[in-house]
Amino acid sequence: VVYGLQAISNANGWSMAFAGALIVFSGLVVLSFVISQLHKIVTLWENRGRPADSPAPEPARSETEPAAAETVFVPQSWPTEPREEALLYAPLLADLGGTVQLADLYQACRRHDFPHPHLSINRLREAGYLVDAGDGKVDWVAGGN
Amino acid sequence: MELLLQFLSNTGYYLADYRHVIMILIGCVFIYLAAAKQYEPLLLVPIGFGILVGNVPFFKGFGLGIYEDNSVLHYLYFGVTTGLYPSIVFLGLGAMTDFSSLLARPKLMLLGAAAQMGIFFTLLSALALGFLPREAASIAIIGGADGPTSIFLTAKLAPHLIGPIAIAAYSYMALIPVIQPPIMRLLTSREERLIRMPEPKREITKTELVIFPIVGVLLCCFLAPASIPLLGMFFFGNFMKESGVVDRLAKTASSAIIDTATILLGLTVGASTQGDVFLTGKSIGIFFLGAVAFSIATASGVIFAKIMNLFMKEKINPLLGASGVSAVPGSAREVHLMGQKEDPGNFLLMHAMACNSSGVIGSAICAGILWSFMLAGG
Repeated sequence: VVYGLQAISNANGWSMAFAGALIVFSGLVVLSFVISQLHKIVTLWENRGRPADSPAPEPARSETEPAAAETVFVPQSWPTEPREEALLYAPLLADLGGTVQLADLYQACRRHDFPHPHLSINRLREAGYLVDAGDGKVDWVAGGN
Repeated sequence: MELLLQFLSNTGYYLADYRHVIMILIGCVFIYLAAAKQYEPLLLVPIGFGILVGNVPFFKGFGLGIYEDNSVLHYLYFGVTTGLYPSIVFLGLGAMTDFSSLLARPKLMLLGAAAQMGIFFTLLSALALGFLPREAASIAIIGGADGPTSIFLTAKLAPHLIGPIAIAAYSYMALIPVIQPPIMRLLTSREERLIRMPEPKREITKTELVIFPIVGVLLCCFLAPASIPLLGMFFFGNFMKESGVVDRLAKTASSAIIDTATILLGLTVGASTQGDVFLTGKSIGIFFLGAVAFSIATASGVIFAKIMNLFMKEKINPLLGASGVSAVPGSAREVHLMGQKEDPGNFLLMHAMACNSSGVIGSAICAGILWSFMLAGG
């Protein structure tokens, strides 16, 4: 039995290790690049046949949309300031009740087409508007911290 | 009287030697770790109990042992030696995996690639220690920290090493909370551990989630066709989940099917560790190299994340590199816990799961590559 560097060379180990590392790395780089472009391809596909300047169609609203939709307002440009976001979230939280399951809140945001709800919810938690109540629930604190 | 003596000479008490006792103690340790310490109980309970079953001494030739033709255990072991159970486990894993965090931050996939470097370093180490190339490749895959992948590749290349390699791979997966944190702490500063990962800038659409498994299976399996049995099943399971049209199948794959395969895989791998087969110098070498592989995989992920930070405006928390190994979700959980230890408001879990799922893909590709190399080398 041969040991050490000689054993590696005899088994072609250096080339196998180098080529193997290179292949797995390049494979995942290509996959990573493709998935980073995937949403652009999907958007192009979904917008096929539509003139470039025409607005995207409004998403169809469900017949069973909850009544809160009338009080919840979604502005054209969504604010990133927690205080302003809190104003937009307040009617939704009022409708859901003071303490709400985080998952339910997320679902409600999706129903009302709130953009990137996980970002907003995170900001509201950091600003103290949403406080952990345990068991996956959060409390709404109107004034924040 | 003679009949009684003959019976007694056929009992396990009479036939037992020190190797059986050692292995039974190891089995008890596994069961203790799983039941009392909650270390990977889904794996360690079947494996630990399998070790007990496999090390009850018996009279050879009765068709009882796992290595004896026509024994029940031998038939169940067929799923291991053919690579059947690992493929089924991958089907279930795919049906359980949510790729949305990876799709939201594709660059985290590179950490899953970097953590595979432990595999190739261990390949060199095993060759240097005198293992044959096929054995070295099977040992090296422990660095992927993926039990089913290790078993799959070993079944193809070095079936006589399935027992020690599977036990080493699953042991180190269970010992993630012991192995990874010191390496992560050693390689990162407190400032680095405090880095908060920004939330993804966009929502992942349903269409992307549905297309990803198709793109993934084509890209990965065209690159390394030998990984088809693992990645083909993995992405198929994920497609069933994301397409939403075969919910019943996806649910079965992610519950009953993967559970059945895990039970049979764990039990038979445990039973394959018969003292006389398992307790050899090679097994000790495999355990040593497995620890090296796992540690280097963790370290290379962390170091690569630090290198990425040199070139990126938006810094990555280097702890995430440690979750590039494919021990799902153990390593992601460790990364998250370590991040929270430094800053309770730092939530790394979602990002760590992205690296973790990339690690699963990476280690399966590595298995395919190593298998191809060995086939090419004869």
